[in-house]
Amino acid sequence: MARTKKPENGTSTARSPSPSRASSASPSSPSGEDKPTGPLSIIISPEDREAIKVNNANATELKNACDDAMKRYLSRPELFKQIYLHTDVRLGLGWLSVFVAAGTAFYGYKVEFEKSKPVVWAGLILYILLTTLQTLYAYFIEGDVVYVGKRKTFSRRIVSERITLSSRTVPVERSKPPAYEVSITYVRSTSGGKSLLAKGKTHGVREYNSFFDEEGTMDQERFERWVGELVEQAMEGKSS
Amino acid sequence: MFTEELKAFRRLGFRHVLLQVLNFASVIASGLMIWKGLGLLTNTESPIVVVLSYWFHGTRFYRGDLLFLTNPASERYHTGDITVYKIPGADIPIVHRVLETHDVSEKVKIPGLVTKYPGDQLLLTKGDNNYVDDIELYQGLDWLERKHIVGKNDFPQLKYALLGILGLLALIQRE
Repeated sequence: MARTKKPENGTSTARSPSPSRASSASPSSPSGEDKPTGPLSIIISPEDREAIKVNNANATELKNACDDAMKRYLSRPELFKQIYLHTDVRLGLGWLSVFVAAGTAFYGYKVEFEKSKPVVWAGLILYILLTTLQTLYAYFIEGDVVYVGKRKTFSRRIVSERITLSSRTVPVERSKPPAYEVSITYVRSTSGGKSLLAKGKTHGVREYNSFFDEEGTMDQERFERWVGELVEQAMEGKSS
Repeated sequence: MFTEELKAFRRLGFRHVLLQVLNFASVIASGLMIWKGLGLLTNTESPIVVVLSYWFHGTRFYRGDLLFLTNPASERYHTGDITVYKIPGADIPIVHRVLETHDVSEKVKIPGLVTKYPGDQLLLTKGDNNYVDDIELYQGLDWLERKHIVGKNDFPQLKYALLGILGLLALIQRE
């Protein structure tokens, strides 16, 4: 039985938590082999959507809107669960440096200048250290990564999946408008990561003007369809 | 008024709120640290001051002028240096020129000041626009000592450099 990619109209199975994938509730039931559900098969009903409108002259805003849409798209129930490691490291280091700065400044304000010097030196050096660590982490370890997600499905055995999405803006080149490039890395394994079931790496480039109109309203369905196709290709183990 | 933001926050989650607030707080934190760092480098608690008072008005400085101060610990102050000093008990620092310096030759205790050792400096200042020196402003002291001095204005050119850089930034940045 072929797996249908086009979902049936009128059924909003998105919000109903159906535990068994083999049931006919989800329109794309995998055939025999346990292939986990891809994002394309779970539909969002139009009423659940909020309109997104951005300043379409600002490439940063366009990229952020696409990134946020992608994160929301993949984090829906039955799909992936986001791993917040990069976010938490940035939050932790960032807030720590803010507190160090505030504490040092407050100490310098309370204590007379000459006496305060050693502590202010220490605070300043600590602040510079934390900021450097943040920058290095963001540049080398986090890089372009926008979303890291995982999922565990239980059919005949425990299948763990891990997906990583990175994105960047391809800048304007002569007459080519700016574009959004996304790379997806996908791994599916079982038995605690020891046996590899599938591994895929895809990437796609699409110009921003195919998702945003002149007013800056985002065509979310079109974007999600494009991302969903790329994700499902990666899930099938294709590499491009 | 805040319903739009609250809706967005609830949709995007707690971490997102923390990130946004962090962005704002980091800007303030970096400003504070740059200020403190500059103070440590120049050895003065106020590396940049604004001329508030009228005393120097009409000479080289005008009200609202910026002064970049340094206070090198090992350098002596000379007659003619423009200094910023603060008398304990007075709220505002004063920007005046050094009229006289006096080097202490033997250990001596002068009323109102810390014990002086050979090599310490005592200073007397006067505003360019004034007819008399600042003795009346010293609140009973006869001399100023180094610990009253916030710094001296050795680099008046920095003021122009800063304005030049700010002007350039304003031109270069789009929007």
